[in-house]
Amino acid sequence: MNNNERSGFSDQRSEQSAELRAQSSGEAMTGSANGLVQIEAKKPTLADVRAKLANQKGKKFWRSIDELAETPEFAEMVAKEFPSQASEWIDPVSRRSFLKVMGASMALAGLAGCTKQPDEPIMPYIAAPEDLILGKPVYFASAFPFASGAVPVVVKSDSYRPIKVDGNPEHPYVRGGSDPLTQASLLDLYDPDRSQHILYRGETRTWPAFLAAFRSMLADKKPSGGQGLYFLSTTVTSPTLAAQWQQAQKNYPQAKFVQYEPVNRDSHYTAAKQAFGSFVDAQYRLDQADVIVSLDADFLGGATFPGFHKLARDYAQKRKLDGTDQMNRLYVVESVTTTTGFKAEHRLAVRPSEVAAFAAALASAVGAGGASGGNWTDHQTKYLQGLAADLKASAGKCVVIPGEFAAPSVHAAAFAINQALGNVGKTVVYTDPVNPMPSIQADDLKALVADMNAGKVDWLVILNANPIYSMPADLDFESAFNKVGTVVHLGSHWDETGEQAHWHINNAHYLEMWSDARAYDGTVSIVQPMIDPLYGGHNAHEIVQSMLEEPDVSAYDAVRGTWKDQLSKGDFEFSWRKALHDGWIDGTAYTPKTVTAKAGGIAASAPASGDSVEVAFRPDANVYDGRYANVGWMQEIPRPVTNLSWDNAALMSFATMEKYGLAENDAVEISVGGKKIVAGALAVPGQADGVVVVTLGQGRRHGRVAGGVGYNAYLIQQSGAPWMQSGASLRKTGDIYDICVTKSHHIDQRSVKAGGDGSWTHSIEGNESLDRGIIRYATLTEFKANPEFAHEGEGHDTPEPDDSMFPAYRYDKNAWGMSIDLNSCVGCNACVTACYAENNIPVVGRHQTKVGRIMQWIRIDTYFEGDLAAPRAHFQPMTCHHCENAPCEQVCPVGATVHSPEGLNLMVYNRCVGTRYCSNNCPYKVRRFNFLLYSDVYDWDNPTLALMRNPDVSVRSRGVMEKCSYCNQRIQEVKIAADKENREIRDGEIRTACQQACPTDAIIFGNINDKASRVAKAKTQERTYGVLADINTRPRTTYVAGVLNINEDLAKQLGEYST
Amino acid sequence: MATKDAPVNNPMVDPVTGEYRVIAPGHTFKSVTEKVSRIVLTSHTPLGWWFGLLLAGSMAGLLLTAVTWLFLKGVGIWAITIPVAWGFAIINFVWWIGIGHAGTLISAILLLFKQGWRNSINRFAEAMTIFAVVCAGMFPLIHVGRPWLGYWLFPYPSTMNYWPQFRSPLVWDVFAVSTYATISVVFWYIGMIPDLGTLRDRSTSKLAQFTYGLLAVGWRGSVRHWVRYETASLLLAGLATPLVLSVHSVISLDFSVALMPGWHTTIFPPYFVAGAIYSGFAMVLTLAIPIRKFYHLEDLITIRHIDNMAKVMLATGLIVAYGYSTEIFMSWYSASHWEYFMMWNRMFGPMGWSYWVLITCNIALPQLMWLRKFRVNVGLMFLMSLIVNTGMWFERFVIVVTSLTRDYLPSSWGTYRATKWDYATFLGTLGLFTFLFLLFVRFLPMIPMSELRMMLPQAKVKELHGEPLPEAGD
Repeated sequence: MNNNERSGFSDQRSEQSAELRAQSSGEAMTGSANGLVQIEAKKPTLADVRAKLANQKGKKFWRSIDELAETPEFAEMVAKEFPSQASEWIDPVSRRSFLKVMGASMALAGLAGCTKQPDEPIMPYIAAPEDLILGKPVYFASAFPFASGAVPVVVKSDSYRPIKVDGNPEHPYVRGGSDPLTQASLLDLYDPDRSQHILYRGETRTWPAFLAAFRSMLADKKPSGGQGLYFLSTTVTSPTLAAQWQQAQKNYPQAKFVQYEPVNRDSHYTAAKQAFGSFVDAQYRLDQADVIVSLDADFLGGATFPGFHKLARDYAQKRKLDGTDQMNRLYVVESVTTTTGFKAEHRLAVRPSEVAAFAAALASAVGAGGASGGNWTDHQTKYLQGLAADLKASAGKCVVIPGEFAAPSVHAAAFAINQALGNVGKTVVYTDPVNPMPSIQADDLKALVADMNAGKVDWLVILNANPIYSMPADLDFESAFNKVGTVVHLGSHWDETGEQAHWHINNAHYLEMWSDARAYDGTVSIVQPMIDPLYGGHNAHEIVQSMLEEPDVSAYDAVRGTWKDQLSKGDFEFSWRKALHDGWIDGTAYTPKTVTAKAGGIAASAPASGDSVEVAFRPDANVYDGRYANVGWMQEIPRPVTNLSWDNAALMSFATMEKYGLAENDAVEISVGGKKIVAGALAVPGQADGVVVVTLGQGRRHGRVAGGVGYNAYLIQQSGAPWMQSGASLRKTGDIYDICVTKSHHIDQRSVKAGGDGSWTHSIEGNESLDRGIIRYATLTEFKANPEFAHEGEGHDTPEPDDSMFPAYRYDKNAWGMSIDLNSCVGCNACVTACYAENNIPVVGRHQTKVGRIMQWIRIDTYFEGDLAAPRAHFQPMTCHHCENAPCEQVCPVGATVHSPEGLNLMVYNRCVGTRYCSNNCPYKVRRFNFLLYSDVYDWDNPTLALMRNPDVSVRSRGVMEKCSYCNQRIQEVKIAADKENREIRDGEIRTACQQACPTDAIIFGNINDKASRVAKAKTQERTYGVLADINTRPRTTYVAGVLNINEDLAKQLGEYST
Repeated sequence: MATKDAPVNNPMVDPVTGEYRVIAPGHTFKSVTEKVSRIVLTSHTPLGWWFGLLLAGSMAGLLLTAVTWLFLKGVGIWAITIPVAWGFAIINFVWWIGIGHAGTLISAILLLFKQGWRNSINRFAEAMTIFAVVCAGMFPLIHVGRPWLGYWLFPYPSTMNYWPQFRSPLVWDVFAVSTYATISVVFWYIGMIPDLGTLRDRSTSKLAQFTYGLLAVGWRGSVRHWVRYETASLLLAGLATPLVLSVHSVISLDFSVALMPGWHTTIFPPYFVAGAIYSGFAMVLTLAIPIRKFYHLEDLITIRHIDNMAKVMLATGLIVAYGYSTEIFMSWYSASHWEYFMMWNRMFGPMGWSYWVLITCNIALPQLMWLRKFRVNVGLMFLMSLIVNTGMWFERFVIVVTSLTRDYLPSSWGTYRATKWDYATFLGTLGLFTFLFLLFVRFLPMIPMSELRMMLPQAKVKELHGEPLPEAGD
């Protein structure tokens, strides 16, 4: 955050009145884009159409534009929703355009304009808001509330529209990094499918009408203390909301507040309660840990894991080999293939039911009590012994992290091991829970459902949850739901629950409301609104507040009230503004609690028999528990490891697939306890045999994006054991389910002579990536012995600059370059999502993705090395390399892709005629082509989404090539600022979107001519190499080869790493 | 070549040389003129022609539909993706332009080499060239993402000072193809002038007289006209000859200049030219065999022609085979991992089937043409012409698509599955080609009467050692 932005902060601070800003933002909208007004006016139509579409099965919206456009409902809605230009664009055969183009094609001239740009009147301000400089964004600190801990963010706001969400660079917890969900929360705000009304039995109502009904109910229930009033909420993240509820509880002691969300921390809290007697959170200090053991914990996988941002950063920091030759070592024992597992030096795939026994055995082996048991294979025993030895050797400098989806006994074992090895207080500390109202959610939920079935529930107020969709099947929530007198649903979408509830209240997005939340380290951030609620949404604070004596206290006042004491040490107003400005309240971080784990915790259950199939449940890496299923970016961006896009699948190992006579894309019926779902089978390298992994969050019925994607795994989930079921059965149905993956792994069927390894168990892509020097890595010992390993071997040489027909360019001043540390990259997709947001990248839908037209400018290439039953994986962010000797530039017939004096490979959209020769000639295949008008139906004309666009980046039309620009708009912005101040650009002043989002600081960008810059230094590391540099492209993006700190003894025992 | 195995009594065999005659015996100046011009000047249009035109026209309509939809939606209606960003459009472009080459070869090079037998077939071979270039030339325009801006590839005085990027082979293509189209049309038209004069003189309807008169630009058949005509023909032949070699060489550079394994090879220019002539002769046969049957032109387009063309195909086919084997050899000899992998993938990768189709059609089956019996069997030669056309289409498929599916970065490997619009466009150009060709055979003399007359024995008095004219009456 530079000084300029800083001043932007403070300017805004003086205008901190929410009303004022909200008002002016309203003006801005009406004035500039007349967007909001239209949305308001067309409400009933959209709702009606949704209702009609809800009954329709299968593909919807821009997953298959044509299909949907042909339905009369949609056509009618479109015509009404986008009155001016839309019909010409969307209706492919409007008479006028048909005749026009027909005439042109008759003449074979093709000169008629096929993509007429829409007429857009620009209306200037008559009285401009004082603090607005058009084109100059301002930044606000806020926080993205998330069940596992809020992500402190800085929101970029352009003309009062939030257009980018990034981690708060100064926040001690997040340090500027983010994750895909945080990035995608922006599109969630502008989701055109968001609910826009308060509905009562499908009829539009006003907020006062709801309040009247609610209060009359409250008045009735007051005497009985609120008997029969129940709340069902997702995990409460806001201390203010918790305080409001506690107050309400005083008035209505019999009212009940149940928190439940599908991805909860029950395992951890059950174990913590048992071991420590109270709910505590565990915070791992990976900066202190030399040996990290994950027991099914995907702590590098994304925000789903509590504390992800700090864990990932600390983990990566100890792998940079920056002036030291020490690095940490990661062991992962996991039942579901994750990026964390593949980042491990030593990974052991086990069945879900074996995790608990393994944890117990490990505890016993390191002397943390418990019985060593279990039937372990030779391989597993060796692994266990090696791991235990390493742990004991590094006592106090190691840490065991249990997975959120592992059984409570695994957590108990981890508590015991960490305690026995003296890690507590060093590599792990226990604190108060981030969740202000911690509970064992599944137990509360079961009690609630029992009460509902018993007819005890008069009023059920559902806060931000979608229980009709996301409940374990055995609870039969829907029938219990129908026994409730009145159901109120507060939700961002009129979803599966909204349509069945009596009252539906449209929820305000976190970027539209006041609230507060704690980051995982306990630091409190104020959630402040960035925009007036687009659809006038309401929030949980208002509903709970209306139960209190002062029902009209706004969320803003309530939040201020909560922190009044905390901030009143000096001048409250000053402290309040400072908290808003900085993004957190000083001194609220938790201090470690001294707790001791009781011995004899929860006994581990024995592993299930290996004959039956075990089903492991996980939230989807992108759409989470389903709440982001309608966010196009999240559907489209390929999931880590599997590369699934627009789909979920039954994930299993090759051997399991073979055992059940399945092939990839076969539809398979999974039966658990009498419940069945059908999914497509997909092989995942490294998955333990006998396990099927299903992911939650898909199979939604509602939403133009989410509807009809994949299967709904909740239908076979059991509330007792939500993450694992043994004794499942698989049946091939005989149908084909054509899974959408962006990349598959073919078995290398080449003989040794033909260039393969002859094993028929390796991936040909993986083998080739190593043969071609695309992936280079070494063990720490090898690296120490030979620091130049990345430059040795065939094809690893880099030609001299003179080895070209064309003279080399000279770069006198700036020369932009990038260095990506493959040791740090954890493949979490944050960079990819950030790039979508920054560069207005269109979402193209399932079919287009499947045929290979996904538009991502940066992607995470995943290569599996070795036997696909137990491979190693390598993650490599791949984006335009800005070659100094660029193959694309040479072949463009019209000079639409050109070289800048600073070494950028620029794409001139306006000049591009779309021959696609550049893409063919790009050895990195990072160019993306607008095969169709991708920005049309979904993006271009949609007034809501138009608000989200980054105004500094063109929205590309059909027929032009596009690609990574090194965030040229950011470079230019800083250059202009530096020019104005008559100074050089400072190192680190320009940060690309991917760099900014990266939680592990794997991406470094800057001026390579400046030898003191970070990027220049990174590039001088011995491990730096250029991918495909041997064909003389001279890429500006280079990679720092990975180094693995393997346990040599264990590797020898296990026969890994060719030792 | 001696025809020892031909029946002794076959009137088509010249008893003196033992070779098949270029023209059947017994023809006179009048009979030749009559036979050829009647096809054009008759008021009775054969039903079969109408049927053919309807079929071809509806296929051309398919093209119109496909291109209209293409312009409305964008090139995304085709199967092209990343990494295979070129597909049917480029394959078809190279295929069609290759086919055109035979026409130019026949009309220009064989003229310079004084291969008299070419006279029977050169007119429609040239027409074939032009129509093939029409079909081919359409593809570069429609395959671009924004066809309405296709003119940006031309160097024109833009007010914005834009200029093509001359390092790109696509710009070279623009010049190569436009030059080729121009020369071909001019050559064709100039060569047709004496015949247009004949048609003007023989036609009875006012409209035909006027039209052919206009087109004949005052041809009177005077000696001065003939002298200038012959000079112009020779000059144009001289101009067109280098084009036979250069056009496809330039087009091959689209691939050679790129760095993709499977594209980046210096053998492409000669091997593309040979392939072009190979496929072109196949197409001439595909056209000639049904036409001579339908219009009973067996006397004028004889077994000799078919035999000769088969020999040319055999020769060029062997050059092509040499090209393929050099590619295979170099992929091993270069010791380049990229080349080695490319060749393995081409043969045994997921799209390996297309390589074996190509080898079967272009290399294996055409070896049958070593057999004289095969070459003189009209039906089999028709089949062979179709096989070679298919094989040459697949050659371009293998080069364009298979190379692109698996290139440098394994993460970006893809596949290619043509859509119905790809097929529609391809079939559509076949329809357009046939449509134009049917119009040509109906309205223009498909066999050059003047040149054919020169080949009759009557025109070669001196060469016949002063034998008396076999007949009088013309």
